Amino acid sequence: MLAAVLAVCSLAFERGYAGAASLEAMLDGALQPSAAPALLGPITEVGRVGWACKPEQAAGANSWQNAELPRP
Amino acid sequence: MPALIVFAACGSLARAQMYPHSTPAPRTTSVPELRALAVGREVVERFHLGLAAEQRADWQSAAAEFERIIVLNPGEPANSTARYDLAIAYANMHRLDDAARQLQSAIARDPGFLAAMANLIAVDLSRGDLRDARAVADRFVAAAPDSARALYERGLVALRSGDTVTARNDFGQFLQANPKYAYAHYNLGLAQAKTNDFASAEREFQIAVDLAPAYARARFALGTVLLREGKRAQARAAFATVAGDSATDPALRNLAVAMRDAIKSR
Repeated sequence: MLAAVLAVCSLAFERGYAGAASLEAMLDGALQPSAAPALLGPITEVGRVGWACKPEQAAGANSWQNAELPRP
Repeated sequence: MPALIVFAACGSLARAQMYPHSTPAPRTTSVPELRALAVGREVVERFHLGLAAEQRADWQSAAAEFERIIVLNPGEPANSTARYDLAIAYANMHRLDDAARQLQSAIARDPGFLAAMANLIAVDLSRGDLRDARAVADRFVAAAPDSARALYERGLVALRSGDTVTARNDFGQFLQANPKYAYAHYNLGLAQAKTNDFASAEREFQIAVDLAPAYARARFALGTVLLREGKRAQARAAFATVAGDSATDPALRNLAVAMRDAIKSR
């Protein structure tokens, strides 16, 4: 991976510019989307329909904090 | 008076939707009714045992309890809830296909089960089933269009599948309600960079690192876009910051060192 990027870099810097191609290679190789969020927690024996069920509330929440998305 | 009736009706509805901590003493001699009561009691007790096992991360024991509940085949919402909890145990045991099956089954039994949809998408992403993840994510967004998790998860699925249009839309909509969430700015920047919209990508990556200065991957991404735009000094500075951060993961750090030195040596 590193060797490939170095090779692309050396091409880019020594010969004019194949910038778009080298950037694409870098983006594909090194820049991955964020990881999937962690699973929402278990639902207790209290049930969920119409109740204060934390995972169900998190799934429908509008804010990232309430949705239990990962904290940067 | 009418308000009292409505209140009383809500109360009985509410009672029907919860699993009681203690089951009532049987007031019947009918064998089928007694059997049904015994099954109901076993379901409640196994829920308690399974949840306690999940709390102490004893996934094997938890799975055994929820599997038994499913064999007992209770009605809703106990059935889909047991499958949801079983899926959590399976996922932690790295039985991702089994987890996905239970979540699919939970959603089939309760089509409005949002938490099951959220977890199924996460499981599908982990097992690399982007097709199922997308189908569930579309359903999740349709059921809860304002849900942060629905938009964020579908954006991730779309980005991994190469559907940059949906990714841009979903992360953009997500950010309208959550403008300070650095990960969403990073993911939106990736979608923009993949369509060669480097000016927009630069802006998103810059916001991401402004919001979370230790976010090395976003800073690296910013460096690559700056480089593409011919802003070499700024790009080098971005790579140098990543390279100098010992907390960065080693692979990314090595890459940043190589990029920084490549620009320097020119």
